[in-house]
Amino acid sequence: MSERKKPEGLTGAGMGRRGFLKTATLAGTGAVAQGVVAAGQPAEQPTPRRHSVQMASREAEQGTPPPVTTTQASCGSDFMVDVMRHVGIEYVAAIPGNTFKGLHESVINYGMTSTPALELVSCMHEEMSVAMAHGYAKVAGKPMACMMHSTVGLQHGAMALYNAYADRVPVFAIVGAILDAKDRHGYVDWQHSVFDGPALVRDFTKWDDTPLSLSHFAESALRAYKFSMTPPWGPTVLAVDQELQEGAVAKGTTLLIPKLPQIAPPAGDAGAVREIARVLVAAERPLIVADRAARTPEGLRLMVELAEALQAAVVDVSGRMNFPWRHPLNQTQRRAELAAQADAILGLELTDYWGVIGGRLAPGVKRISISSIDLFMKSNYQDFERFTPVDLAIAADAEATLPALVEEVRRQTSSGRRTFFKARGIALAKDHRDSLEQSRNAAAVGWDSQPITTARLCAEIYEQIRNEDWALCNGTVFQNYWPQQLWTATQHHQYIGDAGAYGLGYLPGASVGAALAHRQHGRLAVAIGGDGDLMFSPGALWTAAHHEIPLLYVVHNNRAYHQEIMFVQSMAVKRQRGIDRAHIGNAITEPNVDFAKLAASIGLYSEGPVLDPAELGPALRRAVAVVKQGHPALVDVICQGR
Amino acid sequence: MQTFFSRLVAAAVAALVVFGSPGAVADEQRSNATEGKRLFLADGCYQCHGTTGAGGGTAGPHLAPDPLPLEAVKAKLRTASGRMPVYTAAVISDAQIAAIVAYLQGIPRGKAAKDIPLLNH
Repeated sequence: MSERKKPEGLTGAGMGRRGFLKTATLAGTGAVAQGVVAAGQPAEQPTPRRHSVQMASREAEQGTPPPVTTTQASCGSDFMVDVMRHVGIEYVAAIPGNTFKGLHESVINYGMTSTPALELVSCMHEEMSVAMAHGYAKVAGKPMACMMHSTVGLQHGAMALYNAYADRVPVFAIVGAILDAKDRHGYVDWQHSVFDGPALVRDFTKWDDTPLSLSHFAESALRAYKFSMTPPWGPTVLAVDQELQEGAVAKGTTLLIPKLPQIAPPAGDAGAVREIARVLVAAERPLIVADRAARTPEGLRLMVELAEALQAAVVDVSGRMNFPWRHPLNQTQRRAELAAQADAILGLELTDYWGVIGGRLAPGVKRISISSIDLFMKSNYQDFERFTPVDLAIAADAEATLPALVEEVRRQTSSGRRTFFKARGIALAKDHRDSLEQSRNAAAVGWDSQPITTARLCAEIYEQIRNEDWALCNGTVFQNYWPQQLWTATQHHQYIGDAGAYGLGYLPGASVGAALAHRQHGRLAVAIGGDGDLMFSPGALWTAAHHEIPLLYVVHNNRAYHQEIMFVQSMAVKRQRGIDRAHIGNAITEPNVDFAKLAASIGLYSEGPVLDPAELGPALRRAVAVVKQGHPALVDVICQGR
Repeated sequence: MQTFFSRLVAAAVAALVVFGSPGAVADEQRSNATEGKRLFLADGCYQCHGTTGAGGGTAGPHLAPDPLPLEAVKAKLRTASGRMPVYTAAVISDAQIAAIVAYLQGIPRGKAAKDIPLLNH
């Protein structure tokens, strides 16, 4: 990857934790001169940065701002920037809104010009801001902040927060507020005021607060961060009053930033872990099913250890990169068959246990669950899926429980069982090879078809990236899981799962956010997304162009909200009516969308529409070359529906 | 009395009248397949099974090449289960099913996976 241009004064990316803490301390001590100190950190070598903060108009959305009447040297929102840096946040995604103009100004004039840098990522829609934070967190393993306007901004961002919540992903959301009526000047300020703004998203966020002082903000921010990063991960919201952001901090005021704790995820009870190990070791046909089990690279490594200790079949539901795609014990393609045959099923962070077992509650089968979802669940939105009776449900984080489980499995495995496991592993390895052969044969069918098959699409993409450090940023259900069937993926960052709640408009923002996190590692980020999804939020591509975020975005263009075509046709058939009109309201034709032109118009290199499969490889090759130079590129491919 | 040969000629002529010439049969098959393709695309089979019957993974299995025999396809359509809707005669006639099968039968077998480099990494 080529060197990326950076604004002057910013330090290099990829700073280690130790380095970060050092600079965080400096930032904190820098704020000491303004009366701010991070708790437990020495106040030495102050490096004060003072900025004259213009009080922007409260009526900015109604017309010309009034003349500046005061200046100030230190303000609440500078302190908020320090707090965000203190917890390790590096980016804030936002589209502007005057209820957080104080914080906006602090980010760009204080956060972006001092270290460690807190960079503003400029967005086109709050839904994309949140989606960007969603995708980023799944790669970086920590939250990105996103600022949203009061009322209308949070309403725009709400669906994306639901996606993040259902996908168990941390997002540090901040929404502006004008709490005091005396501060609302004019018609629009009242339209943009709400007594309890976060109530809108309370059903699908982990926690929220509306701090009334800067000390309160610091405590709530730390609490929000801690909650969001304690499994099950999830988004939090802080409503931040305009006056709190914009008000001056009196000289001599001491503001404490609480110490950030090291967060230990909840591990399963030792006795329960022993019992799981006993069941798994004794089972003839155990099946391990993982959904969002591997939160980190360590989780992936532990998944492999557990499977290999048992020589047990693993089915990856693909909520995350839970298991290497070409590992001999990966039996994902045989999911239904193995679930029906298993005598013990271990579900790890499995949202839809019922779906995995196909609704069959076979007698004599030991069903076990380890899930942090049992520790935190709300009632209104029903993303907890159908209740499935299990024999043992451990409310704990699966990844945190795996070390003890692996150790216990090894301890309980006799030499006789080890011999049996070895034979089982050999048989499963053959099954994996057979599945791969079947997938390849299936992929060959219609190889030269037009529109291009999704198998060919995925094979052509892989051909261009397989020798790179690639990272796929999309879920693959709408591409029939061809990447999992045909590609070789071994590392945690190579796959991050899907939207969580299947809310359309996720991928453009999420893939740009993920690509931003990949950028500092020099990885080649790739996203394959539907045309309908892209039509929801094409502005995210502008963000990629504006911030020079390298990403290969391939449009799986079936010119429809294709899933719905199938549903509507089923309904028409059921009602014995015409079945040739299901495209109405579902097709994205007349006119066809030219995504290459759309992307080019907002600054991306683009190719397409590609209709001929023979032209797909060269088009992708050219686009990959652009991405490797550090820029985003889009290839529009006219594809089969699925 | 007609000779055996003359009876054979007469039978052949009669057969041509009834069934058409070999060329006409081929034309009719082509015409049927064309209509089948139109139905396949217009009536939504392609949505789950792909425009060439290659299949759509979880959405629908592959239908071609080597489609099921006509009677099997008819049975599938009339008594479908799961995601596949039931297509009654009121929605699609036996003749139309026959046309669709003719289209699927005409789809050529493509390259084998072993002959496609991209599928052999």
